[in-house]
Amino acid sequence: MKHAQQPDILPGTVGEGLAQRGITRREFLQLCTTLTALLALPPSMASAMAEAISKARRQSVIWLSFQECTGCTESITRSHSPTLENLIFDLISLDYHHTLQAASAEAAEHARAAAMKDNNGKYLLIVDGSIPMGNPGFSTIAGISNHDMLMETAQGAAAIVAVGTCASYGGIPKADPNPTGAVSVGDIVKNKPIINVPGCPPIPVVMTGVLAHFLTFGGIPELDAQGRPKSFYGETIHDRCYRRPFYDQGKFAQSFDDEAARKGWCLFKLGCKGPVTYNACATTKWNDGTSFPVQSGHGCIGCSEANFWDAGPLYEALSMPVSVTPSMLGAAAVAGAAAGAAITWHNRSTKAAAKAAHKKVTVQDLTREEK
Amino acid sequence: MSATLAKGISAFKEVIDAPIASFFSSCVHCGLCAEACLFYTETSEAKYTPIHKLEPLRRIWKQEYTLLGMLGKMLGLSKPVTDAELAEWEPLVYDSCTLCGRCSMVCPVGNDITYMIRKMREGMAASGHAPEDMIAATTRAINIGSPMGVKWPAVQAQIRHVQADTGIDVPVEREGADYLVVMSSMEIINFPEYLSALSRIFKQAGVSWTLAQDAFEATNSGIQIGASDLAREIVSRIVVAAERLKVKCVISPECGHAFTALRWEGPNLMGRPYGFEVKHILEVLDELQKAGKLKTSGKDKRPLTYHDPCQIARRGGVVEQPRRLLSEIAADFREMSDAGVMNWCCGGGGGVSAITRAEPLRLQAFKIKKRQIEATGVQTLITACANCRIVLEEGIEHNHMKVEVIGLTELLAQYLVEESTP
Repeated sequence: MKHAQQPDILPGTVGEGLAQRGITRREFLQLCTTLTALLALPPSMASAMAEAISKARRQSVIWLSFQECTGCTESITRSHSPTLENLIFDLISLDYHHTLQAASAEAAEHARAAAMKDNNGKYLLIVDGSIPMGNPGFSTIAGISNHDMLMETAQGAAAIVAVGTCASYGGIPKADPNPTGAVSVGDIVKNKPIINVPGCPPIPVVMTGVLAHFLTFGGIPELDAQGRPKSFYGETIHDRCYRRPFYDQGKFAQSFDDEAARKGWCLFKLGCKGPVTYNACATTKWNDGTSFPVQSGHGCIGCSEANFWDAGPLYEALSMPVSVTPSMLGAAAVAGAAAGAAITWHNRSTKAAAKAAHKKVTVQDLTREEK
Repeated sequence: MSATLAKGISAFKEVIDAPIASFFSSCVHCGLCAEACLFYTETSEAKYTPIHKLEPLRRIWKQEYTLLGMLGKMLGLSKPVTDAELAEWEPLVYDSCTLCGRCSMVCPVGNDITYMIRKMREGMAASGHAPEDMIAATTRAINIGSPMGVKWPAVQAQIRHVQADTGIDVPVEREGADYLVVMSSMEIINFPEYLSALSRIFKQAGVSWTLAQDAFEATNSGIQIGASDLAREIVSRIVVAAERLKVKCVISPECGHAFTALRWEGPNLMGRPYGFEVKHILEVLDELQKAGKLKTSGKDKRPLTYHDPCQIARRGGVVEQPRRLLSEIAADFREMSDAGVMNWCCGGGGGVSAITRAEPLRLQAFKIKKRQIEATGVQTLITACANCRIVLEEGIEHNHMKVEVIGLTELLAQYLVEESTP
């Protein structure tokens, strides 16, 4: 009685694609339940999501890669099979992606033009990498500058997903002194809904979760002030970190190979940026839920936050000053010490004078003469 | 020699230390301390907000010890502290503060407001703005030896009384005894049961103890009025006697501030560690019971509750001991709301019970205690502080409540198994 009720399988839909691959409804429902949980939706939404996705036509997706390292693509495609991530790729029609597509040159660009024409206003645009605003020659594809390609493709998109910290906030290309004049997608595209999925790279399941949300509800999930889906970026690594109890107890590793580090104590003093980094690493983890940086013994570097590369040394505790130069620091310390010494001297002498003026109190001293 | 404003200001400057400076600078003006103070909750008068009671001291700190304050003082932007102002503050610093320490517990930034009031009283006393009644009590404590004017013969009369009643020999001036017992004058005059109960318990437990002729009084008016020099003189009587008699431990009686004076302030006033320990009588009784030396039989069937004296529970840390002791002898013990470290003060601690003019305010503040007692539905109230006991009895009388107040030591002695002398 396992499959008493088979779903209606419409030709050309996701449901059909899944059936062809021998994926049962039970397995598909499990996937939807997991995604529902990850997206912080009510459990009842799992079957609704399954219905919506299985009946949906495969979503046309155009993926553009600009100034990037392909790490984001690696992250999403290198997931272990068979996982949610692979399944999700059967739910979309990836019409253009230069790393993955077989076509090249004219044929490749033709695929993009065709997808844009056929699905005008409906396709989803995924971007990884930042856009150079300096010399257009810094990064071109088929002789088209990144800027022009983005603006042209964004025109007919239903929504844009900025994958990775480069597309979301400029990332490493934008790091000081930003030689290419790199900007994020959100810096130049103003008339389309943009979902930022930062991370260097982002967690695969966060990507697929955002896609599933788009397929189910046809809209974008609730976003935080930095344009990130709240369901994945709602809490800091620190708040969800399994090493948090050590932080609360003041138990810190002082170096990467001391006894405290071996005991798995908090890495705050070794520069962990967990307290200021919003991401889901501590809950969903990486590589099929195997581990995440803090669990492997290295502090969080804060890769899902804007300008993380310029936010101070990676191995200095967050409480250390980052923006001042050593000479400024020295001058400030000298000035502070001098002011402190002066006021201390003044206060000490005030108190000493009061002490010196103290004559032993007798009971006669408790009454005023005029009283 | 007399009190002057200049002496008061100088004393304020002298008492401002690192804790006070950090407390004032970290106050966020949240007003939470108001809700913790029984004088505020029972009157709803904003002037009874604990931190407000420190305003003159705060201004002295600001004007003398902070850069902005010094500038302000130089430019005449901040008004100096005057006699008139201190006179206005006198009822706030004395009449409406029992040094109960409840405000210090709730302060979100951890300011020990009670500590500051205690220090502020130094300047108030030096400037002649301490209540007359407290000046009189302190004068008696220094000149006669006890704030209530009790002298050694009164204690001797007590001793004879105990000996006649119980047949137990009360040891006096016994060198090398383990414990030196001191009392509060209220126990000598109002509650003679204490000495009798103690004699019987110690006899049964085989405790070696003694009284001292020149150090029978444990209370310390110098602490309450805020005159450290006098407080030192009073506490040193006990320290000298304890070291002369070579006792191992001095037992603070059922009196709140005596414990604070002897246990916490004493070594700081003396400027050196004691050569002996100081324990509250409840701590000693609890130890005896744990060691199996305190045998009781039967349980009190009356429903009863326990009033935690502030200086013993909140400021002194003796919270579990009375409960353990009561669990042995009380069949129907009912905990009061906010019991333990957050208990509400009786309204008469910190010297307030000695101030005659404060009586109406004290009785008004007693309403919280009245509600607490009534909520438990008991007619027997146990406590471990003679001052609490007197103030509670006054409040109970004033409100025509049918509640009896009993000291814990005394109650314990009632259930003592007295063995025949071996």
